Amino acid sequence: MRYLMTTKASSRTPDDSLFAEMGQFIEELTASGALLATGGLEPGGLRLTSVDGEITVTDGPFTEAKEAVVGFALIEARSQEEAVEHARRFRRIVGDGESEIRQVFSQ
Amino acid sequence: MPVTDTHRTVDAVFKLESAKIIATLTRMVRDVALAEELAQDALVAALEQWPASGVPDNPGAWLLAIAKRRAVDHIRRSRRLERKQEQLAHDLAHDRDRQPGPDSEHDHHQDDVLRLMFISCHPLLPTRERLALTLRLLGGLTAGEIARAFLTDEQTIAQRIAAAKRTLADARVPFELPPGAELAERLVSVLEVIYLIFNEGYAATSGDDLMRPGLTLEALRLGRLLAELAPQEAEVHGLVALMEIQQSRSAARTGPSGEPIPLHEQHRGRWDQLLVRRGFTAMLRAREIGAAPGPYVLQAAIAVSHAQAASAEDTDWARIASLYEALARLLPTPVVQLNRAVALAHAHGPQRGLDLVDSLTSDPALRDYHLLPGVRGDLLLRLGRSAEARREFERAAQLTRNVAERAFLLRRAEEITVTDASGPTLGQAAQDFLKCEDFTTPTVRSYAQTLRRLCRALGEGQPLHSMTAQQVARVFAATWPDAAATTWNRHRSAVRSFCAWADLDDLTVGLERRTGSGHATRPLSRTQLDALFGRTELPLRERTLWWLLHESGAGVTTVLSLNVEDLDLDDRRARTGGTWVSWRSGTARLLPALLSGRTRGPLFLADRRPAPARTPAAADLCPQTGRRRLSYERAEYLFKRTTKSLAPSADGYTLSQLKPRGS
Repeated sequence: MRYLMTTKASSRTPDDSLFAEMGQFIEELTASGALLATGGLEPGGLRLTSVDGEITVTDGPFTEAKEAVVGFALIEARSQEEAVEHARRFRRIVGDGESEIRQVFSQ
Repeated sequence: MPVTDTHRTVDAVFKLESAKIIATLTRMVRDVALAEELAQDALVAALEQWPASGVPDNPGAWLLAIAKRRAVDHIRRSRRLERKQEQLAHDLAHDRDRQPGPDSEHDHHQDDVLRLMFISCHPLLPTRERLALTLRLLGGLTAGEIARAFLTDEQTIAQRIAAAKRTLADARVPFELPPGAELAERLVSVLEVIYLIFNEGYAATSGDDLMRPGLTLEALRLGRLLAELAPQEAEVHGLVALMEIQQSRSAARTGPSGEPIPLHEQHRGRWDQLLVRRGFTAMLRAREIGAAPGPYVLQAAIAVSHAQAASAEDTDWARIASLYEALARLLPTPVVQLNRAVALAHAHGPQRGLDLVDSLTSDPALRDYHLLPGVRGDLLLRLGRSAEARREFERAAQLTRNVAERAFLLRRAEEITVTDASGPTLGQAAQDFLKCEDFTTPTVRSYAQTLRRLCRALGEGQPLHSMTAQQVARVFAATWPDAAATTWNRHRSAVRSFCAWADLDDLTVGLERRTGSGHATRPLSRTQLDALFGRTELPLRERTLWWLLHESGAGVTTVLSLNVEDLDLDDRRARTGGTWVSWRSGTARLLPALLSGRTRGPLFLADRRPAPARTPAAADLCPQTGRRRLSYERAEYLFKRTTKSLAPSADGYTLSQLKPRGS
């Protein structure tokens, strides 16, 4: 089963040790096949809205900085609990903040 | 957190960590069974404590710490207190030497996990036990979970795991990496186990569903883990690449009602590009190592070629055909040849493929292999030979054990409209023939057996009058290659009677009557025996068997049933099945070399270890070499082949002719 984990801004300011820890974590998780894709997201972004068939594009940001999603990870796990376990290890590295996990339904 | 949720969390953590925990404990206590028990203790402790205390910060480390503590307790309690404590002290000192960076500890665990993999895939164990034990120890699956994946019951799996642990303990298999040259050979066994698990999930051989995804994912997980542990082995990366790419097609390879969709008809947009990319990466790692490509790297290269083609038409079939040719040199199996035929047909036209497929139809190994008529039907259809194609699809449907696949093949057969179906079919004629009143019951039974085989091989729908002597000869060659003369002649005369009844030309003209039976009761002469026993360049096993048969006068099956532990070398006799078999100096001279240190298990062993699907009963397996008992058919065949040059009829002798004269 696949899960998408999204993460909001965290309290810990990135430093060398965070990068090192995170680097190792990502490497391990990728090698084991649990981490399929991951990336950081730009703060602003664009918003597309359709109203009566008309599409408008607006520039971001749209939410308060601490509410914005700043990163994602696509995870392959045997169970929801296993996905949570991976996310737990991630949260321990990045410090206080918030992540969400949702199952990705297959095509 | 509710208790059940915590249980699920404990279970998830345990599955992620169990390989590491069990590997570490095995290094401490030098016993896989005990290590697994201690790991279970830790699991139980977590189940008891976490609901109240909450999940610890680092649950993996928590489990490992508890398990290690249990291990130390156990070693303290153990009767062989001193030795183990010394060992423990040594290990702890060792640990300290390696101290203390997380990296070195990490490497340490890695090595242990690799050792554990080699143990659970040990060639000493029958394949089924290897699969179960590997999923248990390295995948952290429970016996119940493994049983569900293999569509069997929990007790069967539990028994397999227990038997495997017992064998490992009895043989005192050390917890270490196989030395130098042995490593490559043992790695083959590990790769085989992983790929078997994958295939059991990917191409479910039985049952209603075409795929059991749990197993493919477990196999992928194990493959990726192994690639981390043994990164310098090209074949490991080859296997991973192969599995990743095959798995990338999983959503595309079955249709809405579970029917299989062939590769060239799959919707490529549904191939999982994340997995394809992982496959390519693994392939690159394999290539970087630069060794001559082994079977897994070649198979991965074929999978990569398919994945690189933007559409089925873009497939580089010439390249794939040449890869299959290289693969056939390493693995000259009929199945590889069959795949090569498919590639050749795409690259150079269906006739080229059909020529190769037709050369395979007399191979006994493919007799009941449904893909052979499936592929043949496909090629015939492309050549416009629709009536034959339809029959082949029907035959393929009859041979497969998978429900979804059978439905698919039958539909393919039905889709072909055949206009030239004239006259009775083979199946109908065979039924009418057997209803003939003037046959006695044993005759009917015997004829029915022959005709059933003929129908299965040629298809019941084959028009009776289109049958050729060449077809019949091929069926005989594939079905009864090593049959004794009487059996062979019985089948031959059944077909002759059938032809006479149906007013056909004699279809057995391509089949020689076998004459072995005339000699079967006549023992060999002294001169013949001398000529035979004088050939000391022949394999030791054969010579020992023949001497023993000659000197003991015992039956072939009796002699083949002998076990090493039955032998009394001093008194030159052995007891088996309530009778004594005794021998003289000829056998006695050869026996010690044949035993070469073996202490139990079958006396006469086959040349190779049994194929995964054909694991024999434990009593027919050598616990030391993993080989099976030499079969009657094989022994007879080898004797016949060897004695062809000596026998006047050029048919060779049969083993029963080795009995001494007058017995």
